[in-house]
Amino acid sequence: MADLEMWLILSAVLFSVGLYGVIVRLNAIAILLSIELMVNAVNINLAAFGWARGDYTGQMIALFAIALTVAEVAVGLAILIQLSRTHKSIELDVATELM
Amino acid sequence: MIAFYVIAAVMLVAAVKVVRSKDLVRGVLWLAVVLGATAVAFIQLKADILAVIQIMLYTGGIITLMLFSVLLTWNRDEGKPTAGHHRQVTGLLLSSAIAGIFIAAIKRTDMPETTPLTVSDPQAVGALFLQQHVLAFEALSVLLLAAMIGAIVLARRRDA
Amino acid sequence: MSAELPFLVLALPTIAFILLAILPALRRSGRPAAYIVIAASAASLWAAIQLLMNQLRLGDSVQSEFIIRWLPNGGESLADIGWVIDGTSAPMLVVVGFVALCVQVYSLGYLDDESPAGLGRYFTWHALFVFSMQSLVLAPNLLQLFMGWELVGLCSYLLIGFWWQKPEAARASVKAFWVTKAADGGLLLGIILLMSTTGGTAWNPEGISSGTLNAITMLLFLGVMGKSAQIPLHIWLPDAMQGPTPVSALLHAATMVAAGVYLIVRGWPLFEASEMTLTVMLWVGSITAFSAAIFALLQDDVKKMLAFSTCSQLGYMIAALGAGGMAAGYFHLTTHAFFKALLFLGAGSLIHAVGTNSMSKMGGLAKKMPLTFLLFTLGSLALAGIFPFAGFYSKDLVLETLEHGHHYGPLALAMGGVVVTATYVGKSLTLIFFGKSNSPEAHPHEGPITMLVPMALLGSLTVGAGFMLFKPFQSLLGNPDAVFHYTTLGYFGLGLAICGLVTGIWVARGGTISALKPVGDLILSSPLDRLYVTIWKRGLLAGGRGMAWIDRYIVDGAMNAFGWFFVLIGERARRAQTSRVDDYVAAVAGGVMIICLSSIVLWTLFVGAV
Repeated sequence: MADLEMWLILSAVLFSVGLYGVIVRLNAIAILLSIELMVNAVNINLAAFGWARGDYTGQMIALFAIALTVAEVAVGLAILIQLSRTHKSIELDVATELM
Repeated sequence: MIAFYVIAAVMLVAAVKVVRSKDLVRGVLWLAVVLGATAVAFIQLKADILAVIQIMLYTGGIITLMLFSVLLTWNRDEGKPTAGHHRQVTGLLLSSAIAGIFIAAIKRTDMPETTPLTVSDPQAVGALFLQQHVLAFEALSVLLLAAMIGAIVLARRRDA
Repeated sequence: MSAELPFLVLALPTIAFILLAILPALRRSGRPAAYIVIAASAASLWAAIQLLMNQLRLGDSVQSEFIIRWLPNGGESLADIGWVIDGTSAPMLVVVGFVALCVQVYSLGYLDDESPAGLGRYFTWHALFVFSMQSLVLAPNLLQLFMGWELVGLCSYLLIGFWWQKPEAARASVKAFWVTKAADGGLLLGIILLMSTTGGTAWNPEGISSGTLNAITMLLFLGVMGKSAQIPLHIWLPDAMQGPTPVSALLHAATMVAAGVYLIVRGWPLFEASEMTLTVMLWVGSITAFSAAIFALLQDDVKKMLAFSTCSQLGYMIAALGAGGMAAGYFHLTTHAFFKALLFLGAGSLIHAVGTNSMSKMGGLAKKMPLTFLLFTLGSLALAGIFPFAGFYSKDLVLETLEHGHHYGPLALAMGGVVVTATYVGKSLTLIFFGKSNSPEAHPHEGPITMLVPMALLGSLTVGAGFMLFKPFQSLLGNPDAVFHYTTLGYFGLGLAICGLVTGIWVARGGTISALKPVGDLILSSPLDRLYVTIWKRGLLAGGRGMAWIDRYIVDGAMNAFGWFFVLIGERARRAQTSRVDDYVAAVAGGVMIICLSSIVLWTLFVGAV
């Protein structure tokens, strides 16, 4: 059984990969996917801490985070659809002005 | 131990595929792989309820939603998939620096000796939700409602 | 009853002023506006006389005090407004009210030719002046006195410049304003010093160290010198004669210039405690008394002669106060207010009739204007200090005070002043009323009844004030058993005055006065004016320019550099706002990294090994 440290490192690396994606990608959906990776890393972190501490609060907070992510994705995708309507593209380098 | 490394390997490879894939449909599918691996990780961490919700919400809901959005909005022939060389280097440097800081911090922290969970208990999570943190739970429901309305308003056609 | 009367004294002129100020139609109607102001002044005077009557029964005790806490400061009060009626303020109220009423009635006749709008404006300022002067007189502390002081200064400015179309009048008003304001700087500093020392502006020297008290009273006296036209700050008063003659009578002879003297009388506990200031007052006053009399002798313009004479008489008051004779100075203020107002009104009457200010162009008017002749002579004799007119009593009291304090230098100056005063009085009387007329084309005649009645009223006081008012006046100032001493010194002064008169008549007859004219032209305060202008140009303006330079290039420069710095940062920082999400994310990540790294560094530095 792996210990807490290993899970935390996995989570940190996953977070960094997501961060890399957010910085590098220009496509709005790709950025959204990268954000999902980062949120996922956080969730693993929460679950790992909860597991190591021996209580369920970590899992509960992870559930909150998942619910928030769902809300975020819903709004994000709505924005994205609107963006593609206005600019005929979801590449963020075209969307440099407040609409 | 083996399980952890398998999960970690799958997760990281899939994650890199997500951020590098030029084809957004594939990217979404690789994300599904990451999320599935996370669900397995949750089971490892005695968080069965999280694993179930992960599968249901993410792989069931969000991935589907993402796919729809990609198909609705993405023009396969258009646009640069990634930013320029300069940006690539910045991203790599920044993200690896952050990873380095995190890992250094983790390595240097003395984790307290505690007894890890041995069983998964969804009922305990539910009890926490509805007893101790019920106010946050209700606030979350309001937030979800607001997000729903916001999404509808945002996605509506302006001229409609 | 006693609570309403002081209120009436202040409120009636205020109401008149506000009415005229906010109703342009009423103001421009001229005569109705004047009647309103005169009615208000008369009612105000009636209230003041009631107050004085009450006060005469009470002696020097406080009759009525009404105080509003204006700037509460903890349990104490930084400044109060209100009024205090006691033996000091009650007589001054009546003097101001009486002279103001006389002058206002007189102005009706004197300013007959004025346009209705101008007349309305004139009386509006008069109403404001009466209010300001009475609030100055009633002030329970220095701060309210200062407010009244500045307001009467404003009225003075407005009324000197009443004929602002004349460039000289406009210049004179500005000059009066600036000279008195410069002196008021001292007054203000003195008040601030008093406030910061005692936490209030009451007239109480307790708890002030003698050095601080000297500084405070000297600063206050600087303001007095400006207002009461003491040498070397007297230069504005002769120019102030550019205003209408009734204005000169009211403001620049009887009341406003006497405000300085009144300030000292009011603040007597403070001044009395400062030996140094008293000495300065003594010398400044006596030097002014003598040299201003000389200047007056050299004048041909009747109004300027009277203006210098006012300087000189104010000098007597200041000198008496400096010798410790508060009652003497104050009494001389009172009598002087009557006879000098009378003289100015008489001079106005003459100017009105002849159309010139120059005494050498008048002459032979005694037959044509007998009433004016009589009244002007009464005033002149009072001014010269001839028995039994008012000036004799008060001036004798001043001389007696000087002698009593063994101040022989100032006494000699004052005696010299008596001679010179009598000389110019004799000279002017001769030039104006006797001899042959020098302006045959003019047809002088007496003024209308509105001009004669006020003059007659003032004339009766000029005759009677000396022996009638001496005792009640002394009782008001806390000396109820006072009797007037006909001392040797008094007779000596009287003799000197008569000698002076004769000399004056002889000078005027012999025409030797013209020989003195070049000296007069020289002295006519112009060297002093030039000195002030030089100080102004070389000192203040240069200093101002220096300050402006510092302000522009150093203060503003620092500000501009500061602003330029932020503009630069803004220009640079603006580029960070690329409005590209990926840039922002990179910046957030960089920020996180910096926070992490710096916390590691700080931790290592201040807590120990990581």
